[in-house]
Amino acid sequence: MKHPLLIITAALLWSTMATAQGVRYELRVDGLACPFCAYGIEKKFKKTKGVEAVDIDLERGLVVVSAGEGVQLTREQVERIVKDAGFTLRSMTEKTLP
Amino acid sequence: MTRRMKPFVIFPLLLSFSLLASCAWFPEAKEPPYALVKSWGEKGSGPGQFDEPTGIAVAGEEVFVSDARNGRILVFDFDGNYRRQIGQPGEGPGQLGRPMNLEISADRLYVADFWNDRILIYDLSGAFQRGIGERGAGPGQFKEPGGVAVAGNGDLFVADFNNHRVQQLSSEGEFIRQWGVTGETGFLAGKFNYPTDVALDAEGNLYVADGYNDRIQVFGPDGALLRKWGGPFALNLNGSFNGWFATVTSIDIGPGGNVFVADFYNDRIQKFTLQGRFLTAFGVEPTGPVHTAMAVAVADDGHVFVADFDRNRVEKWAPVR
Repeated sequence: MKHPLLIITAALLWSTMATAQGVRYELRVDGLACPFCAYGIEKKFKKTKGVEAVDIDLERGLVVVSAGEGVQLTREQVERIVKDAGFTLRSMTEKTLP
Repeated sequence: MTRRMKPFVIFPLLLSFSLLASCAWFPEAKEPPYALVKSWGEKGSGPGQFDEPTGIAVAGEEVFVSDARNGRILVFDFDGNYRRQIGQPGEGPGQLGRPMNLEISADRLYVADFWNDRILIYDLSGAFQRGIGERGAGPGQFKEPGGVAVAGNGDLFVADFNNHRVQQLSSEGEFIRQWGVTGETGFLAGKFNYPTDVALDAEGNLYVADGYNDRIQVFGPDGALLRKWGGPFALNLNGSFNGWFATVTSIDIGPGGNVFVADFYNDRIQKFTLQGRFLTAFGVEPTGPVHTAMAVAVADDGHVFVADFDRNRVEKWAPVR
């Protein structure tokens, strides 16, 4: 009886994860080599509604923003956040997470 | 009809200007550079490891280092032996978001917490004492403080990074006065462009690392601007010449009465007299696009300690006799 229970539990978990889609945004930001700048932009994104995680790659000038299920960040919104932090958005790509 | 200057007037003028500029704007070193005698640390989150060191201070025979992304302060002896951790990541009392420049005064450690918009105070064993400030643009409030200095009477001077000002507060956090205009950047005298750190000399003069203006500004105890330096006329012209800066991130005044400045994009520490005369510079090249010389502290014995952001390590430098 253990195996069928495990399979059902795993199937339920998988279905929950499969529906919990989010979006990952990769932002190229000019001049992102100073820690003061990086922490400022990271803080602003973390305070944005729906944003679940922010990773800063100083070496590549990349800000990776992960948004939760059903949350969509517009380019205008992202540009404003980046500009408020004192930077210029060079490019933005988005990828739906499985 | 226009008047034209005679060549015999123009050439001496140009020559005089060039000579003046070369002396004032491109100074030669007056001392040999310091020698790197020791370094320690690596990337990680374990004891003695760093994930982006951003601040440094010394007291007695110990070095205190802001370990920004790990949300803690690490303490070592002068040989790099790990001793203890202060604080932990978080937003609660005594917890740290992104600790930046540090100050030690009267056996208290003062931490500028960039993310939690406050100054946290600990005793040197690590026991949390209290926090000062909250997020905002009003008197006594902060937007991402970058550094703090403490006067003999306990007054705090805070580099209020995103408010583009420096505030003087009482030891209880009551507003006394400020330099700069809240929320306004500027490159003229007395204005700031993301100030990152502050220091006080023995006379009570205030030295401000005017971060993105690439200069140092000095104010007297009466609040008046005394001098500024960093490139021609200290008007936000960045460069890698002696005495020029490319984003100043930290400042400290040594026991000999010299000013040490972390010149981040130029990957070096520059040493000046209190009047801003260039003495020497030293540092290491980065391994990639991220830079090295993030923060500086000077010990009573003359050793200079540097937080190397790029290599996630602390460097100990000694003057060359």
